[in-house]
Amino acid sequence: MSLNIFICGVGGQGLVLLTTVIGNACAKSGAKVITGEMYGLSQRSGAVSVHLRIGEDAFSPLIPYGEADILLSLEAIETLRYVEYLKKDGVVLMNKRVMHPPIETFKLITEKGSKYITLEDIVSKLRDWTQNIAVVDALKLAKESGNVRAENTVFLGCLSALEAFRVDEKAIRESISEAVPKKTVEQNLKAFDLGKKSAHVSLCTLVPCRPLP
Amino acid sequence: MVLKDVLSKEKKNAFMLGNEAIDALGNFDYQMEITTNEKVALEVCAGAAFAGVRSLTAMKSVGTNVASDTLFVLGYTGVKGGLVVVMADDPHAHSSQSEQDGRFFAPNSYIPMLEPSSPQEAKDMVKKAFEISERHRVPVIIRTVTRVNHQSGIVQLGEMNRGEFNKVKWKELNEEYTTLGAVARRKKLKMLERTTKLADEFDQSELNFTRQADSDVGVITSSVSYLHVLEALKMLKLQNKFNVLKLGTTYPLPKNTIKNFIKNLKKAVVVEELSPYLEKELCAIAKEANPDLVIFGKDSGDFSEAWEYNPNIVARGIASAMGLEYAGYEAIIEEASKFKEVIPDRYPTFCAGCPHRGTFVALNQALKIQVAKGQEHYFSNDIGCYSMWIYPPISRGDSSLCMGASVGVANGLSHVIEERAVAVVGDSTFFHAAIPALVNAVHNGNKFTMLILDNSVTAMTGQQYNPSTEFTAGGRQGKKISIEGICKAIGVDFVEVVDSYDVKNNVEVFRKALDYDGLAVVICRRECALYGDRNKRRRGEKIVPFYVDKDMCKRPYVCLRTFYCPAYELDEDRQPRISPELCDGCSVCSKLCPIHSVKQTEVKA
Repeated sequence: MSLNIFICGVGGQGLVLLTTVIGNACAKSGAKVITGEMYGLSQRSGAVSVHLRIGEDAFSPLIPYGEADILLSLEAIETLRYVEYLKKDGVVLMNKRVMHPPIETFKLITEKGSKYITLEDIVSKLRDWTQNIAVVDALKLAKESGNVRAENTVFLGCLSALEAFRVDEKAIRESISEAVPKKTVEQNLKAFDLGKKSAHVSLCTLVPCRPLP
Repeated sequence: MVLKDVLSKEKKNAFMLGNEAIDALGNFDYQMEITTNEKVALEVCAGAAFAGVRSLTAMKSVGTNVASDTLFVLGYTGVKGGLVVVMADDPHAHSSQSEQDGRFFAPNSYIPMLEPSSPQEAKDMVKKAFEISERHRVPVIIRTVTRVNHQSGIVQLGEMNRGEFNKVKWKELNEEYTTLGAVARRKKLKMLERTTKLADEFDQSELNFTRQADSDVGVITSSVSYLHVLEALKMLKLQNKFNVLKLGTTYPLPKNTIKNFIKNLKKAVVVEELSPYLEKELCAIAKEANPDLVIFGKDSGDFSEAWEYNPNIVARGIASAMGLEYAGYEAIIEEASKFKEVIPDRYPTFCAGCPHRGTFVALNQALKIQVAKGQEHYFSNDIGCYSMWIYPPISRGDSSLCMGASVGVANGLSHVIEERAVAVVGDSTFFHAAIPALVNAVHNGNKFTMLILDNSVTAMTGQQYNPSTEFTAGGRQGKKISIEGICKAIGVDFVEVVDSYDVKNNVEVFRKALDYDGLAVVICRRECALYGDRNKRRRGEKIVPFYVDKDMCKRPYVCLRTFYCPAYELDEDRQPRISPELCDGCSVCSKLCPIHSVKQTEVKA
């Protein structure tokens, strides 16, 4: 069986780099992988999404609706935008970070009674689809790693904790080192470890994980 | 993709994007150019190919329209060295102005066409395409779609064999590539002969293959639809239950291969995105080879000509054609739509620090002043990051067609509407296709206002270099071409150059340009924020964010009402807050704040 991961977020968060790191790690460790990426216009702050499929029996670059095992969202609002891809009772691995688009802020000051959507709103809505929701404060962990832009690597650390994510960790570390700017390799490896550690606090209470060494 | 894997002599596996597989390039002694437009690109390649050197050009669907003038003639003249044209269609118009189906270029120009479905095929077909091109002395089109180009996967690399590059002596080649009148008529006959030979060859080609099953049903497909078909058959629990013909050479079609495939079938399903290109050909072939064959596709109503496909759409189409049970996917989409009612849209928007945002704030203010004075406007938009003006909350734009068209359209409008026409183009669009329309305006005395937004690079597609950059492809030194120099040389009398970040002064310049009784050009200059950030990092300069001084801010919301910057949000006190992670330090918002409450963070020494 293939492992289907739907990744979403906001332009500038490094989704494509995350995908490249996973893909290169798969190539190194001999796993079959296929991805479909949609980054539309090349600007920052727009919606970005990636279909990532690991395993022999994934043919299309697009995950069929309701067949993603994991919905990984680097930004909280985006989780709901792609919920149709997630299996009922699939795993949501989401960022605590909410990035309000300019149009939402604009409404707040021009329309009476208009309010921002909150993380709580999003999580409570998601509970009607699945109970397996892990919220990660990736920005905090990225800052802790010394690189505020390493949220993507934090999530890669979370993924690597999962039993179902059968990509060799050594290959992932190598792949990180090759893909990120030289000056940030140490920080990214630290972000990866922090992500993995954090998974054992939240994610691993929901789904089977590999034991920590 | 890791470049060292590609360049390695060893046969290796690499994770590659469809795009990369098609144009994986290393540091060879090749000539690589990001040309001014697709027509020029194809001609540069034709020049090399005439002299026997291999060349490749890649363009998107609509770019092929621009290149087509040359493409059609190359069908007649042919080439000596291999010439491959990679054409990327965009079903679903993800980032295009139309869903045009470029496959029809191939039969129309008698140029052979291959269609890969995956990164591996993309890589393999480029090699095959060069061989076909040289064997038949004809360019070869490799037609892709977005879901092939934006697809990554494991690619098995072959051995890289490459000889040294040496110039040739043209006279010794004894070649000619002319066509006109009687010469064209003679070459047309040769072209038809060549096409027959190609069809015969494609009948033997391993690029077309069959997945056999013990069934009287067959699916005929190509491109990424093939992968969706495999997925859909799995979803319908019909894996290996239907015959599948995957076509890799879609012009000329391998007619005998298709005949053989359908001769014992009762039903055939054609799965292809956009127009019924294969379906119509199949109908014609079946008339002779198997008149009783029932063909399902777009004509039968099982598949649509609109939008791209996915596994669910293909599963639904196959199920409806075969009268099978399939729950469909409408229920899950319907259910999911309820989850989305609470979330805001996230339209594409200008990046934090984007110079266009400053330009628009100034232009909007200038337009407002002009409207108060009784001058109204038509807004002629074009293709580039500035296209995003059409999205809320700005939502401005009366038309946007294709590259350079804003200026052409403004020419015509200037004669027939009472409003002042305002045309906008970017730097690369200016060089690509706007100059002829500008020449036309000067020569014919057409009066409108034109803004050229010069951000130094082709920003929307990833900050590629263009003639407005001091670099050329591969980061080599190039000559930067002066836009104002061109405008003045053409004879535009009103040419002003402004800094896009200088909003206050620009309002007055724009106003003058709108009032000017003639053609007025304003060049708004400031490098793309993402490109600028990269340069800053390279130079070791810090990006220093701004913040809102909470004690000073009286919440007039001028920043939020006029600037729409993604770095801004409201805090719990409903005061504007700037995310330090997103702020680009451009300073424009700080100059707009009437109470000067937006300040730059102090840099620690």
